[in-house]
Amino acid sequence: MSADRPDGESVDEADPTVEMADQAKADEPELDRGIIEAWAAKMISNPDRAYRATFYVATVFFVVTTLFPFYWLLVVALTPRNNLSEVGVFLPAGFNPAAFVEVFQTLPFHRYVFNSFLIATIATVAVLLVGSLAGYVFGRLRFRGRNAMLLLVLVTSFFPPAAFFIPLNRLFNTNVDVLRPLISAGSLYNTPYAIFIPLSAIFLPLSIFILMTFYSQIPDGLEDAARVEGTTRLGALFRVIVPLSAPGVATAGVLTFISVYNEYFFSSLMTDGRPGNWAPMLEGILRFQGEFEVLYNLMAAASIVAVLPVAILVVVAQEKIVSGLTTGAVKE
Amino acid sequence: MASVTLEGITKRYEDVTAVDDMNLEINDGEFVTFVGPSGCGKSTTMETIAGLTLPTEGTIEIGGRDVTNLPPKDRGISMVFQNIALFPHMDVYDNISFGLRLRKYDQEEVDRRVEEAADIVQLEGMMDRMPSEMSGGQRQRVAIARAIVRNPDAFLMDEPLANLDAELRVHMRTQLQRLHRELDTTIIYVTHDQAQAMTMSDRIAVINSGVLQQVAPPLECYNEPANLFVAGFIGSPAMNFIEGAVVDGGFESQYTQIDFDPETHGVSPGQDITVGIRPEDVFLEEDARKAASPTKAFDAVVDVIEPMGKEVNAYLLFDRDVEASAEGRGEGQLLINLAPDTEIAEGDDIRIVMDRENVHLFDRASGDAITHSLE
Ligand SMILES: Nc1ncnc2c1ncn2[C@@H]1O[C@H](COP(=O)(O)OP(=O)(O)OP(=O)(O)O)[C@@H](O)[C@H]1O
Ligand SMILES: [Mg+2]
Repeated sequence: MSADRPDGESVDEADPTVEMADQAKADEPELDRGIIEAWAAKMISNPDRAYRATFYVATVFFVVTTLFPFYWLLVVALTPRNNLSEVGVFLPAGFNPAAFVEVFQTLPFHRYVFNSFLIATIATVAVLLVGSLAGYVFGRLRFRGRNAMLLLVLVTSFFPPAAFFIPLNRLFNTNVDVLRPLISAGSLYNTPYAIFIPLSAIFLPLSIFILMTFYSQIPDGLEDAARVEGTTRLGALFRVIVPLSAPGVATAGVLTFISVYNEYFFSSLMTDGRPGNWAPMLEGILRFQGEFEVLYNLMAAASIVAVLPVAILVVVAQEKIVSGLTTGAVKE
Repeated sequence: MASVTLEGITKRYEDVTAVDDMNLEINDGEFVTFVGPSGCGKSTTMETIAGLTLPTEGTIEIGGRDVTNLPPKDRGISMVFQNIALFPHMDVYDNISFGLRLRKYDQEEVDRRVEEAADIVQLEGMMDRMPSEMSGGQRQRVAIARAIVRNPDAFLMDEPLANLDAELRVHMRTQLQRLHRELDTTIIYVTHDQAQAMTMSDRIAVINSGVLQQVAPPLECYNEPANLFVAGFIGSPAMNFIEGAVVDGGFESQYTQIDFDPETHGVSPGQDITVGIRPEDVFLEEDARKAASPTKAFDAVVDVIEPMGKEVNAYLLFDRDVEASAEGRGEGQLLINLAPDTEIAEGDDIRIVMDRENVHLFDRASGDAITHSLE
């Protein structure tokens, strides 16, 4: 401050602002404050602290409400079968980690999980592929009837999926001779196709919508550049537009994967429930429910096992999804 | 290497005609520059040649081959985009080699060519930078490298030097000229910078509102502009225009009167014409000998003086009553170039002459040039 003055005459003077601050402190009257008032005063003088405190309270609240069911699932899974009637809320009545092994011994539960995993993977790939093409067309091309077609696509997602079930079930139970060389029975019932075809179709509109939004934001110049450099439109889509829309693709992919993986209605009705016939993971969990006894601990353990693949997937894709859900912008 | 021919190219968007019936023949190895005001259709023409948009009407030939309906990748061209358009998810090396890798060149060839191209645009040692980590000028150089690395038949360059600083722009300008001489490739170039257009081009194509105004070598556009638009657009500071009419024995406007024989120039008394005179073709009366053939002298008042260093721009009024417009180019005003040591001051009354050899006449109704010299 004073040192900056060119004439240098006032260098020795005390810094006026420091002086003033000292005075202010001295002038402040001694208040007799209770602990709450003191805390409130502190918060008012320092609102950042208040915001931070609120943030932590809210975070803890949401973490507890979302994670507690999982914790309780773990509690149930660890409770030995004989103590199931007296299962606690916070601690298992006993400790039986063997349940996680029993899950696979009682039933080929890994096969159920594999079935669901495979079906979800195929559906995700199919949805992303078709959704990318549709997203490109709706997001980047201008043509007559675009809005009408887009509306049509979205309308299909407004129907309750159950409405499609009866006709589809009929259809998939029909023997089609052309399919005979591909599928032993000649009908789609009891095949993964019976699950992933309707589910892909049902979850496709959402992905088209997400991908369309992302693809439309990629600057035209980049696609032009790719095409001049030697790609086709399709090549530009997969080499430039898709990589730049990674957050959107990850979001659409994960949403589709989770939806199909967890889907119950179609999955359970399109097969006869046997693991060899592509019965899905949820069917497996329900199989622990016998005629005379419900093996809650195994059901809980199986649920935890079944969540793992999705949890891993989400953690891996998390970074992309978060930016995908919050922003759609791509910097040029 | 290839010639490029546009035949009746028209591009209409819903309500705008961006390019209107353009006919242009660009020879093999020629450097042609498109100039024109913003929004006149330069980029649209480039995009049509590149195949990024299809023309509403007309055909395009590259190297004698009709490419009107071919996709961009099969046209043998490369392009530097106005907005640069580097792939943000690829580093410099991947950006430059993108086209080569698509065409499945072997790795050694790719490396060699990338290095060569990077060398030309001075990008050595930046191969693993991402575009977001580079300055505008560096990105532009990557874009140029990406275009030259493929050795195309024709280059399309849409303002490739716009983001460079003055020094680098001059450097790149000479580099591009050298490149053009070495590769002998057809180059179609867009620029707003008259210096680039004048120095680099074999021919300039002046476009206004999607219509081709004149295609000619730079000096011809300067000395013999085809119409009022070209006359006003080429040259900086721009040509002066004086509106008036043909009378018996010459031209007359409110403040000026120039003698010539209307018949020899094919105009008739009563016709509305505009006289065009470049600032450097007007002289003080005492310097009249500098003009090859001076007109008779006019009275003028010095309004504003702008010393530019190697010359002085003087804004004149033909009369003290003339209301000076902000840009100094309105009715009754005249901009002239004088030698830097000329002794005049604002407010002086002076007398000026024009060089008859460089007086342009334009037909006001059509805008077309009538003559470029009264001698
Ligand atoms: N995709 C489009 N849809 C509608 N109109 C367009 C489109 N592209 C360009 N235009 C219009 O066509 C005209 C010519 O545009 P163009 O980009 O070719 O101008 P330009 O000469 O390159 O201008 P600048 O010097 O500013 O780059 C403009 O009026 C523009 O608004
Ligand atoms: Mg442009």
